[in-house]
Amino acid sequence: MKILIATSGVPFIRGDAEILAESLRKALSEAGHQAELVVIPFKPCPPSRIPEQILACRLLDLTETCGVRIDRVIGLKFPAYLIPHEKKVIWLLHQHRAAYELWEQPEAGDLMHYPDGHLIREAIRQADRELIPEARAVYALSENVSERLRRYSGIAAEPLYHPPANAHLFHNGSASDYFFCPGPVNSTNRQWLAIQAVAQCRERVHIRLGGEPASFPQQAKSVNKGKWSDRVEWLGRLSEEQKRDLYANCRGVIFPGVDEGYGYVALEAMLASKPVIATSDCGGPLEFVLADQTGLVAHPTPESLAQAMDRLWAGRRCAAAMGEAGRAHYQDLHISWPNVVEKLLC
Amino acid sequence: MRGGAEVLAEELRRVLVEAGHKAEIVAIPFKGYPPERILDQMLACRLLDLSETAAVPTDLLIGLKFPAYLIPHPHKIIWMIHQHRQAYDLWQHPLGDLHPYANGAEVRTAIHAADTKLLPQSRWLFTISRNVALRLKTYCGLNAAPLYHPPLDAGRFYTRPAEDFLYFPSRINPLKRQNLALEALARTRSPVRIYFSVPAEEPGLERKCAELARKNGVADRVQWLGAVSEERKLDLYAHSLGVLFPPLDEDYGYITLEAMLAQKPVITCTDSGGPLEFVVDRETGIVAEPTPESLASAMDDLWNHRERARQWGNAGRQRYSDLRIDWGNVIENLLQ
Repeated sequence: MKILIATSGVPFIRGDAEILAESLRKALSEAGHQAELVVIPFKPCPPSRIPEQILACRLLDLTETCGVRIDRVIGLKFPAYLIPHEKKVIWLLHQHRAAYELWEQPEAGDLMHYPDGHLIREAIRQADRELIPEARAVYALSENVSERLRRYSGIAAEPLYHPPANAHLFHNGSASDYFFCPGPVNSTNRQWLAIQAVAQCRERVHIRLGGEPASFPQQAKSVNKGKWSDRVEWLGRLSEEQKRDLYANCRGVIFPGVDEGYGYVALEAMLASKPVIATSDCGGPLEFVLADQTGLVAHPTPESLAQAMDRLWAGRRCAAAMGEAGRAHYQDLHISWPNVVEKLLC
Repeated sequence: MRGGAEVLAEELRRVLVEAGHKAEIVAIPFKGYPPERILDQMLACRLLDLSETAAVPTDLLIGLKFPAYLIPHPHKIIWMIHQHRQAYDLWQHPLGDLHPYANGAEVRTAIHAADTKLLPQSRWLFTISRNVALRLKTYCGLNAAPLYHPPLDAGRFYTRPAEDFLYFPSRINPLKRQNLALEALARTRSPVRIYFSVPAEEPGLERKCAELARKNGVADRVQWLGAVSEERKLDLYAHSLGVLFPPLDEDYGYITLEAMLAQKPVITCTDSGGPLEFVVDRETGIVAEPTPESLASAMDDLWNHRERARQWGNAGRQRYSDLRIDWGNVIENLLQ
């Protein structure tokens, strides 16, 4: 098949979505198809320009290339997933979040601060509601994304999971005396919550964090004052290999983030046979953590998180068993690129 | 599709990054038929916004191809690879595909209007060759300066003593006129030999050309090498007596430059376009009429005057240096 992956991008910015698109292209090629990326530049500010960019996508034509039919278009990101094609499948990474769940979170979204924000929001919502169903099938990155699509746009989408990058390289080592809290460090990953929890732990819990404390100057200062500061270790920027080693040799993995789109951290922990402590509002990872079986789910408070950390720290054997159960659960979920390819092309 | 334009864009990005800039390619999909869809895609480009990325202004936009070069930007430079040729020099041409449509003329008018009105919005207009600049002047009345760039892997070309063949390295395509070369070969007085190779093979056409060679009674004087590796191509250039490049109205023509880098004389035609900017008749090669007779006499001429052919080859290499065909020069002009 000749397949185009239609996605949007902000030039010079490379994040998880770009890695995912490239991984999908590779998986399609490996399955014997010709696949290429079509990346439409998208600029969300000022919002008044968003409807024009929706229109631009609607005006593009991906039906053929040099007289040869394109057999399938796979749409990933807004507004590129709105490009018309009679054999289009959408694998929704996310809608334009500022017009949906982030509309209600003024500190995260920007749309609502504009005088015409309401109008633009309606235009985006209407385009999604009316045009997403043109696709032959709609899949979502995760249950979390699927649930948002159902709630806001009334459209059903089956979650379709994919493996993290280099899944085959994750391994289990020993269970040394630290919890691992992977980066990047930012406000939505809430690393400071894990640090505050360390202060409340009854056990002598150690935690290693990917990244630098620079993003939390206030919190970092209080850490330095505490007697327990020697139990918090910042590792700076980690290579992929270092990251995998830290997964392999930790006692457990902590993810204190908020409303993450997809649970890479949980999947990576499961691949390394480690239990996961996740916060109850962390979104994506919760789809993979079976509470009390493959990890623990804590409230997003230092106290609750500390309790969970104490429990895993004290019950070393129990933690190891949870890690093994996590690895088994990963197998049961059939998370693989061939599975993704099969679903998107059927 | 990956052709010369895609390689050029990738090379430009590479040298910009090497020069310390952040550079990315924005590729807009384009489908040239049916004609009314061209208008939609022109509009789509006008609706895109590349002025900033993540709240940081983009300092410069370099537009290369239609219709992407119409994307607006306050600091835009156009380095035109080509316009939509179907609406210009290929209009009413046997190889054009716009004019046969009922609405072809309307769409052509719209393309002309968009180019004429919107191209001057860029701060500066360059073209990849004088030939492209000339078309822009003829059809849109716009002035543009040619800005030459080197072929891919220019540093890898070398030269060796000439052997008994002329080299014809083009894709098999009516515009490249293999047929003209074969008809000319039948009219040579000397036992001239031609080696043909292609970058990407199209078996149907190769069979047709081989048939034509048989029909002209020159099958024993040509070799069809098919798709050759880069190494083999460099070797063929290096050992050839000269390079045969008689296309119809080429935009630019890497083959001329590659021949010059390999210190070989070039035979081209008076209507070949791009190559004429580089080949100096009877100094670095021969510019023949696009007829079998004239081309045959040029081939005989090279075949029978080896020492002069060698000198013309050396002069071609010198001319390449004199023209300052290097990426440093390109960037300097684009970023000035």
